[in-house]
Amino acid sequence: MSEAYSGPLERLDGCRWRIPKSYKPEMRVDGMIYADDTLMETIRTDKSLEQVANVACLPGIVGNSLAMPDIHWGYGFCIGGVAATDPEEGGVISPGGVGYDINCGVRLLRTDLSLPEVQPRIEKIVNSMFENVPCGVGRGGRIKFDRGELHRIMTEGSRFVVERGFGWDSDLGLTEAGGCMAGANPDFVSKRAFSRGADQCGTLGSGNHFIEVQVVEEIADQQAAEAFGLSKGQITLMIHSGSRGLGYQVCDDALKELRDVPRKYGIELPDRQLVCAPVQSREGERYLGAMGAAANYAWANRQIMTYLARNVFADIFKRPPELLGMRMIYDVAHNIAKMEPYDVGGRQRMLCVHRKGATRAFPAGHPEVPPMYQQVGQPVLVPGDMGRSSWVLVGQPAAIEQTFGSCCHGAGRLMSRSAAIRAAKGRSIDKELLARGVVARARGRTGLAEEQPEAYKDVSQVANAVHKAGISKKVARLRPIGVIKG
Amino acid sequence: MSRYEFFDHTADIGVRVRAPSLPGLIEPCTEGLYAIIGEIATAGEPTARTIDISGDDPAIMLRDYLAELLYLFDEGRRCFTDIDAREFTPERLVVAGQARPVDKARSFFEREVKAITYHELAIRPVTDGYEATYIVDI
Repeated sequence: MSEAYSGPLERLDGCRWRIPKSYKPEMRVDGMIYADDTLMETIRTDKSLEQVANVACLPGIVGNSLAMPDIHWGYGFCIGGVAATDPEEGGVISPGGVGYDINCGVRLLRTDLSLPEVQPRIEKIVNSMFENVPCGVGRGGRIKFDRGELHRIMTEGSRFVVERGFGWDSDLGLTEAGGCMAGANPDFVSKRAFSRGADQCGTLGSGNHFIEVQVVEEIADQQAAEAFGLSKGQITLMIHSGSRGLGYQVCDDALKELRDVPRKYGIELPDRQLVCAPVQSREGERYLGAMGAAANYAWANRQIMTYLARNVFADIFKRPPELLGMRMIYDVAHNIAKMEPYDVGGRQRMLCVHRKGATRAFPAGHPEVPPMYQQVGQPVLVPGDMGRSSWVLVGQPAAIEQTFGSCCHGAGRLMSRSAAIRAAKGRSIDKELLARGVVARARGRTGLAEEQPEAYKDVSQVANAVHKAGISKKVARLRPIGVIKG
Repeated sequence: MSRYEFFDHTADIGVRVRAPSLPGLIEPCTEGLYAIIGEIATAGEPTARTIDISGDDPAIMLRDYLAELLYLFDEGRRCFTDIDAREFTPERLVVAGQARPVDKARSFFEREVKAITYHELAIRPVTDGYEATYIVDI
């Protein structure tokens, strides 16, 4: 099904490429892709660049239709896509620019533990994590919420569960938006979404979601690493998950409700997965309210898993998590749309920034960066694959100037799932990972094969590309030593 | 032999089905969806159920039908079996079947299907009938 891109593509420098808006008459802005030459060789083999061009056709889009170096073929939007629209110029909100897993994101915790302390216990840690954090298809959580509580989770986000004992007050200030999206409105969330979310808050899910125990392998920026509380040889914990069935249903409901809306507003679209509504419309406001509610659910979900993971460490090391130094470094969303102010053409405008597989990357001094990181900038968490590494980056001023404060979100897939299964035939991925020093546990039989390291681009290449482009700066490289997958 | 086949999508999975008639697409499309989720065993008393969808695009009606099955599975832990596609025209899709409780202990789940997408969603006439394609988000 996948075909190589054959449209125009201009190399601007060593890390930026342009699709000129002359490519299609419907394009309102250029496409801009951040990638080096090697990454671009892979990127142009699928339809993702065509999707960048399609997004450039959205009403009210400003700047460029952007793609990060972890770009790959998605639905409507490419994965790794960023688009900002101006509501005052008829700008739209598109659920496809957020994705099904609303506020899928990453959370990173530091510890005071070192590799020699953790290595002898890593199997025990991974097994205990696997038992105590519900993961995989059909795994509901042990922590249940009634409808009223779900309503409050969707309104208040992380704070609601922290106040019930699932975390520390300090976690909130180290979560994007404080773990609570302004404008969230659970009244716009369907009964179906409520019921899908009833027992899933505090569960990992499956697919590419994971919890990983890591060791800091390399420090690239000492000042930022110190501000984040990272040092070489230290153990960290990374959680990747989203809004579970509730978010999927919110997106599915919105795509259904918006089917005829483009026609109503006279919007021509090149792909029906790009359905959208003007931000300033009843339909647009309904979706934004429901999306915000799902985003808050996702933050609460990662917050509860943080609580469960801290308990695993506390149980094994016989010390409370506070004494293990298990404070959060940060929590970022990478599937979201947010209203943010930017200077466009010399005028301050409130834009609707879609990040579909892209991470917010605000620089030092930005008011939304937590006080303790004001001197260095916002941590940008970029998980890689379970065999090589993940990166912590820090947002830079160029991200505000060029990419609406956005950066990459991961390694980006290289192989399809079936290609990965074919490539794993006759191999034992868990044994291979063990040989690389990674203890892995997964529920499904094909999970490890589909998520094997070779199925992904090398995240270090992706991190190098955004570092060279200047939109984020490398801070620390983390190597996995234990992982659980759904 | 499977009456569906999978095709590649970078991060997700596509399903392709051929059948001599529009109603003939329904059962293999259903089988393809459940095969992505895993090996699903059922137990307990089934409930008769009819899924009735109106519209103006057969591909969208197929998607909505599959989305209904996904909801049934995800929220109700039930699997739709004994499928009888009674009507599938450009305006209406009616499928009767049994909603059977999933036996978790005997099932082996591989993947969580987040949604049935609109991406590459199509039903096309081919020489010997119709071909349907859909992609699920994993």
